[in-house]
Amino acid sequence: MILLPQVRGVVRHRQVLDTLVRRDLRVRYARSAIGYLWTIIDPLAMALIYFVVFSYIFKRGSVGYQPYVLFITIGVLAWQWFSSSVNETSRSLLAEARLVRSTNLPRPLWVVRVVIAKGIEFVLSLPVLAAFALVFILRGETTIHYRIVLVPVAIIMQALLLVGLGLLLAPITVIFSDMPRIVRILLRMGFYATPIIYGAHAAPPVLQKVLLLNPMAGILEMYRGGFFPQELNIPSIVSAGIITVITLISGTIVFKRLEPAVLKEI
Amino acid sequence: MQPVIEAKGLGIEFYRSRRRQLSLREIVFKGRNTAPRDTFWALKDVSFTVNKGEAVGLVGGNGGGKSTLLKMIAGTLIPDEGSVKVRGGVAPLIELTGGFLSELSGRDNVYLAAGLHGLNNEQIDERYDEIVDFAGPQVRSAMDQSFRHYSSGMKVRLAFGLITTLDQPVVLVDEVLAVGDRSFRERCYERMENMLAGGKTLFLVSHSEGDLKRFADRGLYLKSGRLVGDGPITEVLDQYRAETEGP
Repeated sequence: MILLPQVRGVVRHRQVLDTLVRRDLRVRYARSAIGYLWTIIDPLAMALIYFVVFSYIFKRGSVGYQPYVLFITIGVLAWQWFSSSVNETSRSLLAEARLVRSTNLPRPLWVVRVVIAKGIEFVLSLPVLAAFALVFILRGETTIHYRIVLVPVAIIMQALLLVGLGLLLAPITVIFSDMPRIVRILLRMGFYATPIIYGAHAAPPVLQKVLLLNPMAGILEMYRGGFFPQELNIPSIVSAGIITVITLISGTIVFKRLEPAVLKEI
Repeated sequence: MQPVIEAKGLGIEFYRSRRRQLSLREIVFKGRNTAPRDTFWALKDVSFTVNKGEAVGLVGGNGGGKSTLLKMIAGTLIPDEGSVKVRGGVAPLIELTGGFLSELSGRDNVYLAAGLHGLNNEQIDERYDEIVDFAGPQVRSAMDQSFRHYSSGMKVRLAFGLITTLDQPVVLVDEVLAVGDRSFRERCYERMENMLAGGKTLFLVSHSEGDLKRFADRGLYLKSGRLVGDGPITEVLDQYRAETEGP
């Protein structure tokens, strides 16, 4: 089992991981006094734009569940974690080349650290989401379903998926310089290929099958389960779990294979 | 007693050009990667063992593979052939300020870099004064300033103080003594002698015969990636001199 020694290496250096994550957050928030607000304003502004465009211009609020604002906000926040994390993990070895070169730490650490730092930003944005939900609950437009316990499961699954993708992309980016551009385009397409501004149920049946291959579809299903009483898309969640495991294993293998070449390049 | 460093048949192959030039445009339009494929072995068949407390000087011209060997011992390069085993931690004085960030203050950097090398906060608290003392009063008064405003000498002094305080059994030194003023160099020498007296294993790369003779008692001579000499430092230096000044 290739995962085990890698996991052990990272766990043994959890204190270093802690230091690095703290540094990331400190650097981010030291630069501007309202650093925290910026990480929230950006996705909320996007959510607002989609809400206005789809509810008032296209008048197609029915593509998601009601209340649509809450539906979009969950999707956009989780996607923000996904896309910022993929973007940064793919460049993580290059961006920290000096540190990677001068320390003999398990190299997957540089990927895991980005995922955790971005994940903490995501978790810190959850209170805003809770406030949104509270407003809608008080207005009687939604209720809290016991399935809200799936949220932590979704967070863990998304973190593992992101680590897997990062392990896959980070070494490729070092060797293949065009990778960041490709990643950017794929992420933009991924935004629409993921049920963020629409629900999987609103897609035509053929596309619903395609969406099963998108692990973020299942993960969003779990985030939303607690707020929207509609039936859970179980196949989508199972498929997300399987794809996450496959990504993690193949990421670990690719990373291990390319590691010697990467160290020569950076 | 088991050797501290054990290298067996070490070899590493590099591309002459950077492979990163692999580009999508070329692959799509020409169907292949046209970047030159020729490679060279920066090190080949290098085997040796080093015992605890030995001080080894690496001798050889530019491009001989000295720094590459040091990096493999430090674990920041992975060999393509053979293996190198190091018992115990390594304090690499290689890219000294590699772990330092210009946005953070000197103090934050000490905690960060020492953390990266495996110290926890209590251990750093204990050693903090020692590190800063070594770096000198100029650095001490600037510990709360951003690292960006340090002079290059101050940066190196702080980093040297930090790495040598890590207390690892193996110390790797790559040409760092070239920077810094005379008084700082003297303090570096003193500290290296203390480390040697304390039973540390030292690996030194230098082009200065004086430095090599002063610290090393054994020499390894690397010539275009091959280990061509291994013996007492004076003999190895004579061999090196004889070969470079030859007819």
